[in-house]
Order: sequence, then C-alpha cells, then structure tokens
Amino acid sequence: MINSPATSVTWEHWLDGDPDTASGGEPPWLETQRRDAIVRVRRQGIPTSREEGWRYTSLKALAGQRFARRDRTAIGVSSRDIEPVLVPGLDAHRVVLVNGIFMPSLSVLDGLPDGVRVGSLREMLDSTPDILAGRLNRLAGAGGRLFSALNTAAMDDGFVLMLDRAVEVACPIEIVHLALGGDEPRLAQPRHLVVLEDGARATLIERYLSIGEPLYCTNSVLELTLERNAVLEHHRVQTESPNAFHLTGLYLSQAQSSHYVGHTLGLGAAWSRTDLMVRFAGQHAECDLKGLYLAGDRQLVDFHLDVDHQVPRCASREAFKGIVYGKGRAVFDGRIHVARDAQQTDAQLSNKNLLLSRAAEVDTKPQLEIFADDVKCSHGTTVGEIDPQAIFYLRSRGIPEAKARRMLCLGFAHEIIDGLRPKPLREYVAKEVSRRLDDVALSHEAERRN
Amino acid sequence: MLSVKGLKASVEGREILQGLDLEIRPGEVHAIMGPNGSGKSTLAHVLAGREGYEVTGGQALFDGNDLLQLEPEERAHRGLFLAFQYPMELPGVNNTYFLKAALNAGRKARAEPELDAVSFMRLMREKLKVLHLDDSLLKRAVNVGFSGGEKKRNEIFQMALLEPKLAILDETDSGLDIDALRIVADGVNALRSPDRSVVLVTHYQRLLDYVEPDHVHVLANGRIVRSGGKDLALELEKKGYGWIEGKGAKVAA
Repeated sequence: MINSPATSVTWEHWLDGDPDTASGGEPPWLETQRRDAIVRVRRQGIPTSREEGWRYTSLKALAGQRFARRDRTAIGVSSRDIEPVLVPGLDAHRVVLVNGIFMPSLSVLDGLPDGVRVGSLREMLDSTPDILAGRLNRLAGAGGRLFSALNTAAMDDGFVLMLDRAVEVACPIEIVHLALGGDEPRLAQPRHLVVLEDGARATLIERYLSIGEPLYCTNSVLELTLERNAVLEHHRVQTESPNAFHLTGLYLSQAQSSHYVGHTLGLGAAWSRTDLMVRFAGQHAECDLKGLYLAGDRQLVDFHLDVDHQVPRCASREAFKGIVYGKGRAVFDGRIHVARDAQQTDAQLSNKNLLLSRAAEVDTKPQLEIFADDVKCSHGTTVGEIDPQAIFYLRSRGIPEAKARRMLCLGFAHEIIDGLRPKPLREYVAKEVSRRLDDVALSHEAERRN
Repeated sequence: MLSVKGLKASVEGREILQGLDLEIRPGEVHAIMGPNGSGKSTLAHVLAGREGYEVTGGQALFDGNDLLQLEPEERAHRGLFLAFQYPMELPGVNNTYFLKAALNAGRKARAEPELDAVSFMRLMREKLKVLHLDDSLLKRAVNVGFSGGEKKRNEIFQMALLEPKLAILDETDSGLDIDALRIVADGVNALRSPDRSVVLVTHYQRLLDYVEPDHVHVLANGRIVRSGGKDLALELEKKGYGWIEGKGAKVAA
C-alpha cells in the first residue's frame, strides 16, 4: 500500500461532459458555472478522511474506479423493459430517465394541468435556456458540495419540474431514475430542478434503481425551491444495484409559510452518500424530513443533513432511522444551525439506529449549533440492539424467535415507512424493506453459532 | 395440568424461589398472593420461560411434559399464556398483525390450519364483543401510547384470542380502575372451562370479588406458606401479610 492510488487518481474523467454537448453552444452563464466548478474541483482535489464530512466514509473505492463516458446511443429501452420495475398500482404522472438521460418515449405525462412544466433539462437548455437562468445552480453552486461541483461541470440531462403560482397537481409525479449496465462501468451525473411557485402543491416521488446488478455510479443533484405557501410532499426511494455507487445532493430552499414533507430511503447500493441541505428563506416555513437507511454486508450508507435556520419562526423536524446488520456500516451526520436572528426556531433532530450484529457499525453525529436565545431545539441519538424483553414478549405469545426479531425490525422501520404516500408506494417500500431484512435473523443466528 | 415440585430459581445469583410446590388441576382457578418481593412474579416468569432466571432445582411438569426444557414459544404453543404485569410497547408493530401472527404460530405448531384474514377478523370481532372492547385498539401499534388500563385489557384480549389451557395473570389487576378490573374479570370468567386453568398472581383481594378462586396460596420468601379456599384471601385482606410472614418465619425456624 505504499503506492496508494488515492494520490495518483483524480476526478479528471468525471469532469468530461458528453462529447456531443461540449461543443454545442450552451448559454454563457452555464459555461461560466461549469468553468468555475472545474476550477474548484481541481483546486480542492479528492477529499481525505481528514475532512470532517468524510471522516467515516472512504472515497478510495470510488476514486479508484474508472467509469466510461456516457453514450446516448447505448440506450435502447422499451416500455416493456421497465414494466417489472414499476410500483404496482401506483397511479402517477411518470418521468423515466435511463442512465441519467430523460426518455420522452418512456414517460407518461398526459393529463397534467395547465401551469405545470415537466421535461428534460437538456431539451430546455437547448430550446428555452432563459427559464433556467438564475435558477440552475442557484442553490448548489457557491457553498455547495464538491460532488455537486463535479455534477455542474459535467451534467448533461435530468428532469425539470415547475409549477406556476397556485397550481395543484392531485396525482403524484413520479421520477424513475433507472440504471442499466453496459460493457463498462458507467457514470451518470444527472441534474434536476424543481420549482413550486407561490401556493403550488404537488407530490413528487423519486426512485433510484437498476435492472440487474451492474456496477455504475450515479451522482445526482436536485435543486428544489418552494416559494411562498407552496407545499411539497417528496418521497425518495433508493434501491440501486448492490454493486453501485450512489451520490445524491438535495438542496432545498423554503420561502415564507412553505411546507416540505420529505422521506428519503436509502436501501440499496454498495456505497451511498446522501446530502440533504435545507435553507429557510422566509418565516413560518416548515420542514419535515424523515429517512430510513439499511446497511448489510458489503454496504456503506452515509447520510449528511444540514439544516440552516437563517430566519425566525421556522420549524424543522428531522427523524432518521437506520438498521445495520451483518458487516454493514452506516454514517449519520445531522447538523442544525440556528443563526442569531432566527428567533423562535423549532428544530428537532432524532437519529435512532438498530445494530443487529456485532460486526455492524454506525457512526452518528448530531450537531446543534444555536446562536439565537429564544428557540426550542432538541436532538437525540440512540444506537442499540433489539430489546430482548420485546423479543420475549413476542415469543411468549408463540411467535418463534427469528420471526419475532424480524417483526420488531420491521416495526422499527415502519415508523418511517408509514409516512409514505400514496398507499401503493408505501406497500412497495414495505416489501422492499422486508425482503432486505430477510437475512437479518440468519446473519444474527450465524454469528451466535460462531 | 401443572405440577410444580421443589422449584428453586435465582436471579443474578440471588435465590428467589426456594422450593416451591404447586398442583393445578384442569378447570381450577388458583390465586397466588403475597407481599412484594415474595417471588410471585418470578414464579410467573420462570413458568413462561423468561431469560435471566436460573432454575437451580425442582421441576415443573405441564401436561406431564418438562416445561422448563421448552422454549418460550413452545410453551405458548402447548397452551401456556402469561399476561404481563408490564406489557411491552412494540413501536411500528400493528396490533392486528401481531395477534394474527401469534394465533397462527400456535396453530401451525399444533398442525392446525392457519386462519385466513377473513376468519381471523371474524374471530377478533367476536372476542371484542365478549370483552366489550373497542376495535380502535386493533389498528394501533401494540401497546404504544396505551394507558395502563388499555395495556392490561390488551393482554386479556390476547388471552381470549389464544384460548390458552393455562393462563397466568401476573398482577394484571394492579393499577386498574373498576371498569378495567371488570373487563379483566370478564375475560378470565369467559375462559373458565373444565379443561382450562387460571393462575391469578395478585397483591390484593379485590380481583377475587369478581373471579372466584378454587384455591388461594400465600407465597412468602419463595415458598408457598399457606393454602386454602377463597376465605383465606379475605382473611389476608383483614390481617395483612405480616400475619402470614410471621407464621412463615416460625415454620422456617
């Protein structure tokens, strides 16, 4: 290990955009943003474990992996191909992206009310870039994460969702981010933009998943702006391939009296990192952010939360739960910052972890940074095993031990899952979680035998 | 049905049960009374198979089988039920789902056909009616946010549904108001039959006004020091446990 690859590997090949679009005149503001991002990435280099945000999560495997450039011609997916990955019974307007590329032929967008714009970022950059000017990279640019800068440098496509003032979409809008394997490991860096103007309301479902178990990397960035009184329910379910790398950065900005209800579920991928950044831009805004993560053998899941109360009288409630089993590893870093002027902030952060084996590991770090004096803030973290008394209670009712463990694990997860809407999504996720926890009892038993 | 002989058990090296004998025949209701720390709850837990209790002597036969060799779930499958003094809260575990899993686990173990959702719901409604319980209880997570009385009623509901051969109620009556106490009593009385037995572990005589026991035992210092009919409970209520403990000490000496 003397010649550590980390010193010789760079992000250079991540910075290469699609060869087709690199030449095709983009708006000057975007060219500037890309240049700035490239400069920043080159200056900053690959983060090491000395950086606080990467203390418990090694980038070595990711940095050492070579990925192919995107190749639009490789995509040949039919509606029939995606049938098996759909959520049974889910009635939704649907956008499908394959390897980060918006697929109009697979998307179902008829019946949307007036005042809703859903489409491809690439297409919009080519035809109506002015709509995106001042919006794209507004939240993820200055002060954004390094991986967001990489995304800015190389982004090619993604989805855009814009709701005009007071528009309500009753039916959920589902974004299916589908990854397909190819001859070589592929890197997709899709970029998404969501804007709800004053009083608009919608439910957005995002699913990240693959067909088969290919090795690839998704590095996605979503910028989400809620204007005054806008209400968004946002459910994100990541069930990527067990060989995949998954990075996602969500940047949320909330104006006065807006309400965001979000669930983020990290269930799949070999290595995943989720950054959730919330900024309050107006008073009386509310943010309910919940999440669930699972990590088993050969899995690392890392959640970073950064909630910034800059203005008074906003409320944020963050509740994240994790189940770590086998040799799984989880990292949770939740930071809430309450600025000096942000009086009467209500901020609650909780992180509960269930460790199901001795080899499982979780590093959790809640941080409250409070500079205002009239606030209601709390945080709580727990790391524990399944309560043996609860197991006995179930066994005393005739339920075998392995099933008792499973029921209690699923119960722990259900406190988050039960918040998912609509019902078909909730049932789909419950099945996904249940399926993954099937091995749990076995791994525990195996460990006890050893 | 249950035959306990010379049972000794310790918790963390301290001997709590010091040679306990108890004989329960089918159809009988036994009340086990005694002061705090006499070993009442320990007896209930040892019989149900809770971890952390070390049996150091004696035996317990349930229908002629060595009860103490069985896993807790096997004891349940064979018809033993313990109503907990402090029922566990199980966050995220739906009560209906839990009850169905428990009922069908037993049926499966006894090679009986499992109940489907429809027959199960029918059975539940029937039992709810008998106990005058509200079905809102079924939609909630097991015992989560339940009041003390609701938790106890949920225990009795489980008992009614599982129809055990031998039900042990560990201070189910403690902390109950009169309405909840009646529901507990109704549950026990509904279960009574010539082939079922009940053990009421209790500190007070109050429950026995509603459930008439065939036998009353007084437990002190890990042993049954006195047995009698239901009048013994009334006598205890009048004279207090000091009376028995004094006697017990004399016997021991």
